[in-house]
Amino acid sequence: MFDLPLSTTLLVFGFPAFWILYTLVFLFVTRRWERDAPDKEDRP
Amino acid sequence: MNTTVVLFLVLYYVVVLGIGFWAMRRGAGHDLEGFLLGGRKIGPLVTALTLQSTSMSGFMFLGAGALGYVEGYWALWYAAGDIGGGVVNLSVIGRRMRKFSQLTGALTSIEYLETRYPSSAIRLIAGGLTVFLLGVYVLAQFIAGGKGMALVTGLPYSVALLVAVGVILLYTFLGGYLAVAFTDFFQSLVMIVGVVWIAIAALIEVGGLGAANRAIAELDPTLLSVWGRGLGYEGQWGIALGAVLIFSIGYMGWPHVVTRHMAMERPATARRAGAYATGWNLLFVSTPYLVGILAIVILPELGDPEMAIFEVAGHLLPTAVTGLVMAAIMAAIMSTADSLLLQTGSIASRDLYQRFVNPEASERQMVWVSRGLVLLIGVVGYVVALVQPPTVFGIIIFVTSILGSAFLPAYFCAVWWKKANTPGALVSMVTGATVALVWELVGLASVTSLHPMLAGLGSSTLAMVVVSLATQRVAPVAPHILAAMDEASLVGGR
Repeated sequence: MFDLPLSTTLLVFGFPAFWILYTLVFLFVTRRWERDAPDKEDRP
Repeated sequence: MNTTVVLFLVLYYVVVLGIGFWAMRRGAGHDLEGFLLGGRKIGPLVTALTLQSTSMSGFMFLGAGALGYVEGYWALWYAAGDIGGGVVNLSVIGRRMRKFSQLTGALTSIEYLETRYPSSAIRLIAGGLTVFLLGVYVLAQFIAGGKGMALVTGLPYSVALLVAVGVILLYTFLGGYLAVAFTDFFQSLVMIVGVVWIAIAALIEVGGLGAANRAIAELDPTLLSVWGRGLGYEGQWGIALGAVLIFSIGYMGWPHVVTRHMAMERPATARRAGAYATGWNLLFVSTPYLVGILAIVILPELGDPEMAIFEVAGHLLPTAVTGLVMAAIMAAIMSTADSLLLQTGSIASRDLYQRFVNPEASERQMVWVSRGLVLLIGVVGYVVALVQPPTVFGIIIFVTSILGSAFLPAYFCAVWWKKANTPGALVSMVTGATVALVWELVGLASVTSLHPMLAGLGSSTLAMVVVSLATQRVAPVAPHILAAMDEASLVGGR
């Protein structure tokens, strides 16, 4: 792609794709976090 | 002196100073939590962008462009990890660190370590190490800012430096963390617009990425490889892995960056902030490296590779846009310098002055002590930057390697490993900092093909595990800390 060697193509496009996937998985598995209400925490 | 460029810079300075005054009026200096953490009310978008712009210093406009110009696509190993740095940081320690710090009342990233690993030695060693390393780092940002200003305005270096440092000092002094976070937010937007604009102009100039790559292949096909010019790094996976790790998981060990977690409005803020951070990074992180690579075709006879982005901008863009690009470069430098300055001042005041000199200081007194130390560090930094010590800019990369190596296991294990104890954390910090420092100074990276970050991080992690396990009986983790860790891990009360 773009006249780059395969290994360079993987470096340029593979890592961003991995991080997009990581972020989507993170958003999915942490959807319960929103249950932490802002006033729930006790200040010391 | 170019009037349009100067006008852009003046406009930019007016905006950041305005944010400083606005933060002060919002009560940023009423109490210590307000001054040091913005009252813990920073939302996800500002959290993400202050975290990212703080992590990306002037290096992105000077070093990244130079690396792309000199080594070609090999430079993108650094970008490969950097794109995920924000979301890794927020997803792994963000939420738990926010909860644990509030449960224990910690206001600085070093105080946080002492509440988790109770010992005055922790605060003394971690505080001293951080103040020294961040002091060197902020000095390098000052020098870069002064040089950049002098270059485009034609002012003498000493005057340009005074203006750049004076503006940063003023808004940090007035508005504390709130001013730093919101100026970082504004600066991150300026950075994106500036660098993307140059990249688009460069791509149009070379006829697209494919045409640029074909032209580069004619000059030197090895520049298209993942192993650098002349395949100089061929097979050196230890170096490549270190380059990926330094800016991906490495952030979790940077005290001035992890403070962002403690200032979030609530623990769940980490979730959306992670998504925003990835979005910003996808647009920003690879672009300066790419512009450096395109400069190989646009300016094949460039004398100083560090000027690649400046020169491409000057060569391709109209004057008005060059002013915007200059503002973007100053934004990258200042958004890091302000955070370093505030962090250094707050650690010196809270973790050293209040902890060891005047424990009875009131909240109001401490706000003024923090402000005074920010001012003092800024003035000392200005004076030292005037003489431009030749080695300072060169050691930035290994300052970040040392920070990551020293503190990453301590921050990570603080919320994830209940057996991590005070002796383990102490030995881990000292070992990580020493190994990374020696690795760099002795030049072991080229001998072993192992990046200093990887060597330092490996040793500090090993030290944390071995020493913590070996000292469980003599130094068990206190029950109240275990209870706070349990509480920090809970979601929605369960």
